[in-house]
Amino acid sequence: MSEHKPRKTTEKKVPKAFGWMAEYQDENSLLAAARKVRDSGYTKTDAFTPFPVHGIDEALGIKPTILPFIVLCAGLTGLSTALLMQWWMNGVDYKYIISAKPFGITPASIPVAFELTVLFSAFTTFLGMIALNQLPKFSNPVFTNPRFDRATNDRFFLYVEAADKYYNRDSVKELLGGTHPDSLDEVLEDTTPSALPRPIILGTILLVIAGLIPAMIILNIRAGYSTAPRFHVFFDMDFQPKKKAQQTTTIFADGRSMRPQVKGTVGRGQLEEQDPFYLGYDPSKLTAIDTLETGKFVSLQEPKATDSSAASPASGLTSDGSAQTPAAPSATLNLPWIDKLPIEVNEANIAVGKQKFETYCSACHGYAGFGDGLVHKRADSLAQGYWLAPTSLHVDKVRSQPVGQIFHTITKGQGKMASYASSLNPKERWAIVLYVRALQKSRNADLSEVPADMVKTLDEVK
Amino acid sequence: MNLNYEKSTIELPESWRAKAPILLSAGLILLCIGFLCAFGGSSTGEDNQQGFKYLCHSYLANFVYVFSFTLGALFFILVQFLTRAGWSTSIRRVAEILMMMIPYLALLFIPIIAMLFAGSSALYEWNGKNIHSSVIASKATFYLSKEFFTLRTVIYFTYWILTANWFFRISRAQDESGDAELSLLRQKWAGPLIMLFSLSASFAAFDWLMSIDADWYSTIFGVYLFAGSMMSFFAVMIVINMLLQNAGKIQKLVTVEHFHDMGKFLFGFVMFWSYIAFSQLVLIWYANIPEETFWYQVRLDNGWMTFSYCIIPIHFIIPFLFLMSRHIRRNRTALTIGAVWLLFAHWYDMTFLVMPNAGPAQLVPLLGHFLGGIGMLSIFASMFIWRADGVPLVAMRDPRLPEAMAYTNPIL
Repeated sequence: MSEHKPRKTTEKKVPKAFGWMAEYQDENSLLAAARKVRDSGYTKTDAFTPFPVHGIDEALGIKPTILPFIVLCAGLTGLSTALLMQWWMNGVDYKYIISAKPFGITPASIPVAFELTVLFSAFTTFLGMIALNQLPKFSNPVFTNPRFDRATNDRFFLYVEAADKYYNRDSVKELLGGTHPDSLDEVLEDTTPSALPRPIILGTILLVIAGLIPAMIILNIRAGYSTAPRFHVFFDMDFQPKKKAQQTTTIFADGRSMRPQVKGTVGRGQLEEQDPFYLGYDPSKLTAIDTLETGKFVSLQEPKATDSSAASPASGLTSDGSAQTPAAPSATLNLPWIDKLPIEVNEANIAVGKQKFETYCSACHGYAGFGDGLVHKRADSLAQGYWLAPTSLHVDKVRSQPVGQIFHTITKGQGKMASYASSLNPKERWAIVLYVRALQKSRNADLSEVPADMVKTLDEVK
Repeated sequence: MNLNYEKSTIELPESWRAKAPILLSAGLILLCIGFLCAFGGSSTGEDNQQGFKYLCHSYLANFVYVFSFTLGALFFILVQFLTRAGWSTSIRRVAEILMMMIPYLALLFIPIIAMLFAGSSALYEWNGKNIHSSVIASKATFYLSKEFFTLRTVIYFTYWILTANWFFRISRAQDESGDAELSLLRQKWAGPLIMLFSLSASFAAFDWLMSIDADWYSTIFGVYLFAGSMMSFFAVMIVINMLLQNAGKIQKLVTVEHFHDMGKFLFGFVMFWSYIAFSQLVLIWYANIPEETFWYQVRLDNGWMTFSYCIIPIHFIIPFLFLMSRHIRRNRTALTIGAVWLLFAHWYDMTFLVMPNAGPAQLVPLLGHFLGGIGMLSIFASMFIWRADGVPLVAMRDPRLPEAMAYTNPIL
């Protein structure tokens, strides 16, 4: 508030007058006085009350603010921003199918549009109110009057500013005097020195400088290099009382922190590494197969083990290409597959296999196993050139596979097909193998294989 | 504050009393014409089942239409005491009279109960023998049996009528004594009663309207009907207060500030209804599950599509933009136009909720349904006159009346 800063003049002059302020006992006298002042044509007026007084706006002759129109514009801006943004993002720039919903503006865009409308409106209301009221305002000349302190307590004040177009010191005094105020004072300039005391200035400067110190330390550390170990803030987190693999220890006589397996025990998952039921092949016969196949097997099990240096000539892998696509060699993988189903062939297992097949496999392979599932149909209709059709289970290549290999394919995945080991337990996987065998049989059976009593039914169907 | 008044200014206009029987008979005649249109227009000749079905749906929609005004009034009274509202004291009595019409309107529910016990499944499929859906069949064994349905309806009405009566009796007692304790007593009980109110109103919406299509469920449905009820209640309040003032009554007690406030509520509940209606739609649209989407499918098939889409401008866009301005809400004519428009919009909403289940959209039956709606409004008006007769239109000795008179809206 520049107008009531002390002038830098040496002469002691009369303090500047800002207007008249009248004090009242209750809100009704204030309202009556305000109406009288308003009717006399003064517009630069203000009222100070300890609580909101209904009708004071009208009594003071306050004009409606333009804030609602500003807020309306802000709301419309928010609305159009949200709609344009979503139209552009999801309809033009980055078309991406989400839950099979259409592109561009959809009902799902409305909540965002609503939120942005509210956000823009709310911020504009708040900031617009502050701006239109010229806040924050730290001082007002009315504060110089000690009686004014009671404006927050039990007194009502009416203030007519000298800045008013029609202001005349004597006539305003007369007008306000006619409203029977408790007191009537001229609002005078604050003549007390407004310069800040020197210790406060000094203290503030010191505080600011002190506040810069941590920032400077951080900057210094970030810009430079140091060989000293870093400062451990959380010491017990950086150094935990535990052992990691390959570390030594003094607890055990052999000095190893990793412990060897106790004799006569089976570790979790160990069985799965040895039992054909979990593998589809007999690991004990692995030594019998030739080195070429072993190499392929290794590449299948651990893809990273056969990069260019590890692929020794002895493994038979001559081309890098085959080593980098570990799944590819399994097409001709020749492991000691087991030929006999490890589960019983009965109605119950076929039912389990059918149910699981229709849940997990039919989406791609189709219900009858011809590789014509819904996923395939959809992908094929999108005419994406790189779509590889799922394998039909009725081709000779699959029909000639031992059951163990089919089991292995379900367990480990093949080509584009992912592993289903996490969705299906081994027994369910074998049940699917059984069901696949049944499907294959149903398409390639001889009439002689059909039970005699069923042949009749077949004839009837014809 | 000077509260001297002429007793005649807070009484029902003399000329209105004679109108009540006329309004009642006009309403009944309109209802009959409407039924004939609905019945004749939708009958296919060989069987009248379709016509009867249409008629039942039309009756239910129009009944809930007028009943929701009184439900809104009951909630309004409860919430005024819950929040210790002072501004509304001068308009509260009219709302109390509206609330006291619940017993009259309960009589209009009897035909629906009678229809259930006659064994008709024209309105509620669960009441029939050939239930198409296993979901409905499973609900129909206990929850949606006609006995339990009737029992629940009786419980709702008993609760509403007892609450309304209690509040009204105390309000009238205060007219005599002016005892401030009576206000505090109502304030004390408003909290628990409003909780029961929300339950009863929600379940009534589920039972009466949602169970028409018992396969479908939406937990927000009760709130949806509540939002529409409050909106139409404020519209009715504005219209009644305007009519009373035009007849020379309560002119000084109900000021432009009260109309402004009712206008604000009206505007607010337009927005609230839209918010709830959209919330219900967007979740169902997004999830896209057939057991939920079919409800909207019914409202888009069989010629209902245009009708259903029109609810967006009629119930939201037009009134929202119209009522947004303060100048409109403080203008008597403009506010009344807005209120009448929203009374139509609420009828449209009830039609949207009920009628597509009755069959395809056809002009003549729909026109009959509309006439029935006007008839129902007419009966409602006659009931209001009888109920308001002999009751002061303002609670003159309520200790909060001076607060209501001093109240003004800040100039924004």
